[in-house]
Amino acid sequence: MTNKRKIETPLQRQNRHKAMECVAVLDKLKNDFDIKLDAMGYFYDLCEKVYIKKESIYSKSIKIGTLCLQVPSEIIYALDAVPIRLCNGFHTDDEIGSDFATSKACPLVKATIGEFNSGNFTDKPDIVVSPTTCDQKSKSGAIIESFGYEVYDMEFPRTKESEEAREYWRRSVRRFAKDISLVLNKKLKRGKLKEAIKKVGYAQYLYHQLNELRKEDNPPINGNDMFLLTNAFFFDNIDNWTKAVEKVLEEAKTKLDNNIKKNSVRVVYTGSPPIFPNLKIPMIIEQSDGIIVADETCSSNRMFNDMVSVDEWFLYDMVDSVADRYLKGCTCPIFTKNSDRIRRIIDLVKSHRAEGIVYQAFAGCQVYEMEQRSVLEAMEKEGIPILYLESDYSPSHLGQLTTRVEAFIESLKNRRRKKV
Amino acid sequence: MNKIKKLINYMDLRKVRFWIQIFFFILFVYGTYLFVDLGRNLPIFSCGYNRASGGNCYFLALQHQLARPWWRLFSYASVGVLTGFLTFLAWFVIFNKAWCGYACPIGTLQDWITSFRKMLKIPYSTYTVEQYRFLKKMKYVFLFIVIIFPLMLGLGLLDGEWRGAFCKMCPGRLITPLFSGDFSQWTIDFSNATAIFLTSFGIGFTVLFFIGSFVKKRFFCFYCPMSAMHYIFSDWALLKLKKDGDKCTKCGDCYNVCDMQIKDIADDVKSKNILRDDCIFCMKCVAACPEDDALHVDILNMKIFSSTKGGFSKRMEIIKDDK
Repeated sequence: MTNKRKIETPLQRQNRHKAMECVAVLDKLKNDFDIKLDAMGYFYDLCEKVYIKKESIYSKSIKIGTLCLQVPSEIIYALDAVPIRLCNGFHTDDEIGSDFATSKACPLVKATIGEFNSGNFTDKPDIVVSPTTCDQKSKSGAIIESFGYEVYDMEFPRTKESEEAREYWRRSVRRFAKDISLVLNKKLKRGKLKEAIKKVGYAQYLYHQLNELRKEDNPPINGNDMFLLTNAFFFDNIDNWTKAVEKVLEEAKTKLDNNIKKNSVRVVYTGSPPIFPNLKIPMIIEQSDGIIVADETCSSNRMFNDMVSVDEWFLYDMVDSVADRYLKGCTCPIFTKNSDRIRRIIDLVKSHRAEGIVYQAFAGCQVYEMEQRSVLEAMEKEGIPILYLESDYSPSHLGQLTTRVEAFIESLKNRRRKKV
Repeated sequence: MNKIKKLINYMDLRKVRFWIQIFFFILFVYGTYLFVDLGRNLPIFSCGYNRASGGNCYFLALQHQLARPWWRLFSYASVGVLTGFLTFLAWFVIFNKAWCGYACPIGTLQDWITSFRKMLKIPYSTYTVEQYRFLKKMKYVFLFIVIIFPLMLGLGLLDGEWRGAFCKMCPGRLITPLFSGDFSQWTIDFSNATAIFLTSFGIGFTVLFFIGSFVKKRFFCFYCPMSAMHYIFSDWALLKLKKDGDKCTKCGDCYNVCDMQIKDIADDVKSKNILRDDCIFCMKCVAACPEDDALHVDILNMKIFSSTKGGFSKRMEIIKDDK
C-alpha cells in the first residue's frame, strides 16, 4: 500500500526542472571547453549550491531584490543590506511567467515574473526595487506587487544627454537612499558609503583586470566562464565573490605563457543579457570554435564598466556621483540615442582584436530589436562582420541557431585566410 | 622610462597640486622678499598693487600701454607694447591655462576657501545650464573693459577717470596686498563719480568673491578676463589637454569633478583638443578618468600625464598599488 505513486507538487516540479537546466549547463561548462581554470570551480559550486541544493547565502541580512542593474548597490551595502539582482534566466520560470504577460514579451521579464509568482526563492527578497528602465520591466514591477511583494518603483529617465535627465535621476537616487534608509531604520553614514563605493569599485577593478587578459592572443578565460562569473555578482556575497575572482585572476595570469596556439575566432557578444542558465548563444559560439573575448551586455560589461569618481568625500557628493555612474555611461538600448553603445562595441572590437560580432536580441525585447538596424549599419561602415540573432529561453531552435552561428564563424575563418 | 610614466600617472594629483600651488602662491605674493621678480607680463592675477609681488599681472601694464594716444600707440614708441605682449605670450605658451589651475594666487586662494568649506562639511553649489551659459559670457565683457576701454581713452572717447578701469574693479587689487599687510586698497575713491563707481564695484566684487567662492568652486574664474585672454591664444600653447573620444564612455566622472562645470569634457567625443574657455587646466578630470588614455596632458604631442584605470583606482583608494 506504500507503493502508491507520489504525485509531484508544482513546486517540486519547478525545482526539478530548474535543477535540470542548471546541471545541463554546468556540465557543459565543466567538460566541453579546452580553456579551463580550476579557480572557476567556486562559481560552478556556487550555482549548484544556490540553484540545485537551494542553500541560502544570506541568512541574517536584509535582502533587497533589484529588477535591473540601475539600482545603486553601493547605497544598499552602505545600509548593511544586500542587493540581489533578480533578472532571471530559467526557461522553467519563463513558462510560469507567460501567464502574466503576453506570450510575445521578453523571456527575461517573464522568467522574473515567473519566479516571483512561484515565490520559490533561495534567498527571498524583503523589498523589491524596480527601476523604470524599459517598458516591460516597468510594468513587471506592478505585476510582482500584485503577488504580494513590497515593490519600490525607482524612476529612471529615458534620455541621458541632458542636464535635466541627470538631475532627475540624481533626485531619484537621493530619494531612494532616504526611503530605503527609513524602511531599514538605518542612517546612511559617510564612512559606510565610502567603504561601499570602494568595495564595489574593487570588484569592478578585478573585472577590468580579467578583461585585460582577454585581449591576449590566447585568452586564458572563455566567454561562458566570464558570463557565469559576472552572473554570480548578481547574488553572491561580494566579499566571497572578490576573493574568488582574485583567485581566477591569479590562475589566469599563469596560463598566459601557455604556448598552445588556438585559432578560435575572436568574437564580441552584444545584445540581450545571457543570464545563467540561459547561456545558449554564448555556448553555441564557443562550441563552434569561436571565443568570446568581450561583451557589451547588462549582465556583464555594463554592470562593471563605469566606475564612481568622487570629488568631495561627503554624502552629498558621494550619492550624486553614485547616481551618475548608473546613468551617464550606461549603454542600455532603452535610451533615445544609441551612439554610445555603438562606440562601445567598436571600441571593444578594436581593443580586443575581435573578428566579428554576435548580436542577440531576445524575441520580445523591442529596444534591442529596434536598435538592430542602426548597429548593423554602423558595423558595416566600420567593416566589422556582425551576425544578428533572435532567440528566447526555449531550447527549440537550437539546431537552426547552431547552423547560423557555425556558418558565421566559418565565414570569419575564411575572411582570415583571405587576409593572410 | 615606463617606471617614471607610471609614477606620474599614478600620482596623487590632489597632493601634488596642493604643494605646487603653495609654492607659486609664496613666489607671487611674497616674491620681493625672496628677491624674485618675474616682470610685469605674467598671465595670472598676481597683482601689481601688492608691493611684495614676485611678478605682475599683465593687465596692469596692458591697460596702461593701450591708453596712450593713438598717434603714439601706432608709432615706433610702442615697440614696448609689442615686446610686452610677446613676453606675455611666451609665458603663457609654456603652461597654457595651467597658470590658472596651478600658479594664479587668486585661483589658489579660491581653492583654499573651498577646502575651508569642506572642513565645515557644507555642500557646494552648482549653476544650472542656463545660468552657466549666461555667466560664462561675462568674462568677455570684462576682457572688453580691459582692452577696449583703454583704446577708447586713447581716442579721447573716455575720460581719464576710466584709466585702469578693470584694475579698480578687480578683487585681485584688494585681496593680494592683504597678504603683505596692506589694507589701503579697501577704500572708495570719492574724487569723482566714475571713481566712486569703479572702486565701490571693486569692493562689492571682492565681498562677492569671498562669499561666492565659499559656495561655488572657483567662483571668480567664470568672470576672469585673463581666462578669456588665455583662450584666444590657447591653440598655440605647448601644453595641451587632449581627449581620445573613442576611448571615452561618457561616464561623466570628469564632468562630475570639474570645478568649472565643463560638460564638453564628458560629452564631446569628437574634439581632440578638449580645452574650453572656462578650463583652469587643473587636470582633475584626467585624474578622475577611469579609461586608459582617454584624457591626457601633452607637451608637443608627448603624453606626460594620462588617465589610467590603475591610477584612477589608486587615487580612489580602491587599490594600494597595481600588481
